Amino acid sequence: MDTLSGLLQGFDVALSGTNLAMCIVGVLLGTVIGVLPGLGPPATIAMLLPLTMRLEPTGAMIMLAGIYYGAKYGGSTTSILLNVPGESASVVTCLDGYQMARKGRAGAALGISAIASFIAGTLGVVGLMLIAPPLAQLSLAFSAPEYFALMVIGLAMVVLLSGESLTKGLLAMLVGLWIATMGTDLFSATSRFTFGQTALLGGIDFIVVAIGIFAIGEVLANMEPQEPAGMLPVPKGLKNLLPTWQDMKDCRFAFVNGSLVGFIVGILPGAGSTIASFLSYGIEKAVSKHPEKFGTGAIEGVAAPEGANNAETAGSLVPLLTLGIPGSGTTAILLAALVLWGFKPGPLFISDTPALFWGLVASMYIGNVMLLILNLPLVAVFAQLLKIPAYAMYPLILGMALVGVYSDSSSMFKLGLLALFGALGYAMRKLHYPAAPLVLGLVLGDAMERALRQSLMMSQGDISILFRPIPAGLLLVAAVLLIVPLFKKFNAMRVQVLDQKA
Amino acid sequence: MTYAQKMVRAVAVSTALMCVSGNVHAQWKPTKTVDMIVHTGPGGGSDLLARVIATMMEKEKLLPVRMQVLNRAGGNGAVAAAAIAERKDDPHTIGLVTSVWIAGPLTSSEAKVTLHDLKPVAGLLMDPAVFAVRADSPYKTLREFIEAAKAQPGQLKQSGGSVTSRDNIIRQSLQAATGARWAFVSFPGGGERVAALLGGHVDIMVIEPQEAGEQVRAGKMRVLAQLSDRPLPGYPGVPTLKEAGYDVKATPQIRAVVAPPGVSNEVVAYWEDLFAKLRATPSWKKYVEDNQLEDHFTNSAELSKMIKQIEDELRTQYQAAGIKVVR
Repeated sequence: MDTLSGLLQGFDVALSGTNLAMCIVGVLLGTVIGVLPGLGPPATIAMLLPLTMRLEPTGAMIMLAGIYYGAKYGGSTTSILLNVPGESASVVTCLDGYQMARKGRAGAALGISAIASFIAGTLGVVGLMLIAPPLAQLSLAFSAPEYFALMVIGLAMVVLLSGESLTKGLLAMLVGLWIATMGTDLFSATSRFTFGQTALLGGIDFIVVAIGIFAIGEVLANMEPQEPAGMLPVPKGLKNLLPTWQDMKDCRFAFVNGSLVGFIVGILPGAGSTIASFLSYGIEKAVSKHPEKFGTGAIEGVAAPEGANNAETAGSLVPLLTLGIPGSGTTAILLAALVLWGFKPGPLFISDTPALFWGLVASMYIGNVMLLILNLPLVAVFAQLLKIPAYAMYPLILGMALVGVYSDSSSMFKLGLLALFGALGYAMRKLHYPAAPLVLGLVLGDAMERALRQSLMMSQGDISILFRPIPAGLLLVAAVLLIVPLFKKFNAMRVQVLDQKA
Repeated sequence: MTYAQKMVRAVAVSTALMCVSGNVHAQWKPTKTVDMIVHTGPGGGSDLLARVIATMMEKEKLLPVRMQVLNRAGGNGAVAAAAIAERKDDPHTIGLVTSVWIAGPLTSSEAKVTLHDLKPVAGLLMDPAVFAVRADSPYKTLREFIEAAKAQPGQLKQSGGSVTSRDNIIRQSLQAATGARWAFVSFPGGGERVAALLGGHVDIMVIEPQEAGEQVRAGKMRVLAQLSDRPLPGYPGVPTLKEAGYDVKATPQIRAVVAPPGVSNEVVAYWEDLFAKLRATPSWKKYVEDNQLEDHFTNSAELSKMIKQIEDELRTQYQAAGIKVVR
């Protein structure tokens, strides 16, 4: 195919002075809003929409896309340094990223997340460029039963995320699933668990729960006088901050895993980058030779999800550009922008406007390089944040968390929820309940329930629809995920018994 | 309505508007940023329309101050309605509402604020819609689809929004009128509904004309009938429901502007006049045409009546469909 000539044409478009400037502005803005908790790409792009109406469409599209993928680079920063997820897709980065920072490896964590983002982001664009049309067909082949099975795999990962006690992990997950049911039910338009509160009709925002449990919970736990709270160690010099060659080798699989999982989940309308990052983290842990290190600062645990949420961006552009189907809030705004500029997004979009498509693809290659160059030196700057003493650090985290939640919604009710989930996070910490399964249940619960009910509506209540080939295969994977650790446990017990007999 | 009748009506409406704008000439004007509250998150239909309106206000220099969009998503408009009611007496707040704001409180007792508690300002648009199937579908007309649904009850499927959405109500009405029965599968996003149809997981859907137009042009979809009473310019030869032989009423989907309770008539008149001006701009006309919407301007009093009428219709339709109505 004439991919090469298209790409050359694209670089011609993307390297023009204005478009290059647009790309820089986009990725810079994206990084900044990624770093700020609460403010995400959909809100930012929506706010900029009026402004872009005065710009030339190709340049404007390049800028908006830059914000979209740039934000994924910035999202990990506060997750790693402060345990405050900057973006919902960076929640899972808190698990190992923050632990790495506590061990003085914040620089390596920040560095690897930039590198993983770059690799996966670039591979994602390659995928978008080469195989978008056939992949678009894949997104259509996936229907409710397939989504359901995918979500079951996600939930089975609770086994991997629960730490020492599976029971406690499952309990936390159930609370997450329960929170996910709150709000207005899509199917019957009736409200569930809203306790008569108008503010709860919209359900509980995932990011409020995540920031509450991770950030506020962390601050509360650290306020107890345990040991003299010293400053976190920060090695000197950029060279010592960046990931070592060994780190890069450890992350080889994580780069591939993140790119693939992120891109594939991105193609599926309605799945989203948060699910992509959780799935790739779970897969990384499942295949790891040292799964016990996950949650205590494993570098792969940062690389995989950060890669996944970047590849997801490119993936989500596939149905948008090839079919005219937006799979998320951000792509819906991009679609609207295209219509406003006078384009006709739909199956003929690429053949109608090749210059825009190829210009966008080329700009994404350029943008990813820019982001890498931008982010690596910033590692040194951000790492210095950890030198802040505890008495200033914890108020800073609290402030970031409060501002993040409030700026998104200007709702006092949500600040109340934040406090509530902060207290819950603290209690869970004291009682040794893992937080990740709760968050996982909340992320997946809604989508899984929906997929199950859609499946059963399609089959008129016949459950066998869940066992057609693709979902059956996926469910089998989930079953293996659940059963293998039980065998390991059984084996360990057997060995113990044998030892006692001997 | 004939062309002559339409002209008479148009002249009458514009004369009435001129009188209104003459009366309130330069009495109240916004002095600080105006907040336009919408019930969807960024990227939702109302959110995008609100941002388009804000852009046009600026471009056409209609509003002396800035207009910003505030997202108060959740509960089918209930959260946004409560947010507007909270700003009682505030002349610098308006809300962009849809028929969802009427439907929500009918089925949810938690939705404590209804449109009756807010001040209607002006109706802007009606959202038309069409019935579409895949291009390779065996059904060439709506009748063929309905006959097939009759022959195999419950086997055929339609993708759509919640059970209280127009998609489902029109299905319920058609089912009641014909005795056919087919399934309804809810999806939260418009993109997912289209994906379900194109992927062959459902057989039919109600879709916006602009969106369907691109799929038709690419040879992926076929349009069977249009839900509006007035034929859409973009779909010549596609029958309306009545023309297709089904005398069922598709409740109109309105897009309108409201103000918080307690604002003065002067303020309402200012907004009414402003949106009347917006509607006359070339940008607005182009937007309506590009998106194949139905321009349908109404003043405050007419909007108030229309809301009541839609509410009554919806209540009857919900009761007929077995959906629990709480008020």
